[in-house]
Amino acid sequence: MSSLRDLPLPIVLGALLLATGLGLLASLHLAPLPRGLAIAALSLVKAALLVIGFMRLQQESRVLAGALIGYAALLCALAGLRIALSA
Amino acid sequence: MNAHTPPASLTVGQPTSEGGMELLLWILIWSEFAVFGAFLVAFLILGLIDPPALAKLHGALDLPLAGAATAILLTSGFFAARAAFGRRPRWNLVAAALGGLGFVALKLVAYSHEIPAITAVESRLVELYFLITGFHLAHVLFVALIMLAIAWRPTPRRTGTIAAIWHAIDLVWLLILPIIYLG
Repeated sequence: MSSLRDLPLPIVLGALLLATGLGLLASLHLAPLPRGLAIAALSLVKAALLVIGFMRLQQESRVLAGALIGYAALLCALAGLRIALSA
Repeated sequence: MNAHTPPASLTVGQPTSEGGMELLLWILIWSEFAVFGAFLVAFLILGLIDPPALAKLHGALDLPLAGAATAILLTSGFFAARAAFGRRPRWNLVAAALGGLGFVALKLVAYSHEIPAITAVESRLVELYFLITGFHLAHVLFVALIMLAIAWRPTPRRTGTIAAIWHAIDLVWLLILPIIYLG
């Protein structure tokens, strides 16, 4: 956890932009099942990077940081499921 | 004993105003998440019920512009984080607010492309699309303007509070993107 906590902000931003680009590529080029999985995973990574890297909420409250990531995980999973079911 | 120190019986259980404000901030943020979460789940369900309308909606959406808007909003979040960590708060808040206004401009351009095609689709999905993205857009605009006002005289507490709200708005957009645009 400590290595994540100390992530420099430019690296967090770079990772967020990379994940956004990969998500757009996945939406254009992958079949529904891998597309759903990839988009759900990349979206969750972005949400976690925002909470841990930009907000650094885990330094104040790990419960609150976990709750935010859990909320994002639920919606990302539902989005991925809907995309995968569109086959 | 110091004459200005209240007796212990009077201080126990009295919350500080700072703690109260922080609690209020998180109640506000979670109520936003609850509202956006309900709308997004409704969008997912309607998309499952009516796949042809969802396909038409996706065909009309401007994905490259949504990607560019996402990049701008994330970069704006980067500047908000720098401000919250005490690095030149005034200028970083201004940069974050300008990023937010750039997002608003891009989204309005996207609407101008999308509206003619989308309004031809007869589905509740279209109403939900405008409700979710429009409500988010209003949040971005409102908080960007508040951020500019705070940049006038930034204090650590105000900067931290507005940055937390800004990150919450970023997070909502990161969930809107896969649910509405990337299907």
